[in-house]
Amino acid sequence: MPEYETKFFGRIQCASSSIIEFPAGLPGFEDQRMFVLVQQAVNRPLVFLQSLTRPELCFITLPARAVDAGFTVKLAEEEARLLGLPAGTEAGAGSDTLCLGIVALAEDGSATINLRAPLVVHCGARRAIQVIPEESSYSHRHPLAPQPEGAPCL
Amino acid sequence: MLVIRRRPGESFWIGDSIEIEVVEAGPGKVKLGISAPREVPVLRSEVKTTRDQNRIAASGLTAAAVESLLAGIQPCAPALAPPRKENPRTPAREPDMEG
Repeated sequence: MPEYETKFFGRIQCASSSIIEFPAGLPGFEDQRMFVLVQQAVNRPLVFLQSLTRPELCFITLPARAVDAGFTVKLAEEEARLLGLPAGTEAGAGSDTLCLGIVALAEDGSATINLRAPLVVHCGARRAIQVIPEESSYSHRHPLAPQPEGAPCL
Repeated sequence: MLVIRRRPGESFWIGDSIEIEVVEAGPGKVKLGISAPREVPVLRSEVKTTRDQNRIAASGLTAAAVESLLAGIQPCAPALAPPRKENPRTPAREPDMEG
């Protein structure tokens, strides 16, 4: 199995069947096309999105539904085509798509999650894109912590 | 901020090489045509914000920052897959934490 250098996990072995292809990269990282999702029991529910071509590039993400249980995003025709899904697919609603939000940390330690532009992974095809709908009620900087007392935990 | 009134079919210029034309003005939505040199990036603002936000997310990430983030998160449901059973004789699920 090919080995890859990572930011937080040392060298990892990764079967080609575990590689997620981003055919368009991510905005700001258009040349990064090959990633792997890393989840560790100790870090749950965080999901690390590690680039396989740039070891120092690793995003932290959270499943959008861990933050908003009803989260879905409607795919535009071009987005559905890139993912190999039927036009008009509501991502996040079925079991074949996973919506992840990229987490950003401010210097003061506060964390936000980008639900305005979620990563949509077509699990069966192992393809993903960052979807930026024209209209959305979500924020690029949805506050993540601290959770108020009594709020549903992640 | 400079505000210009235009009707559909009218346009304005930014410098000598960028022309913005109002193609259509509907209720609650405006369609613009942009003619700009290839080297000038044209981005919807939400795409630019996403790009900026991605760069912030990628740059601010240290092991210590991940630790502090985890300190504020209390997992209570499996997100992708259940935790690996390290010892089959002990229950896979720890007793639920309060809350």
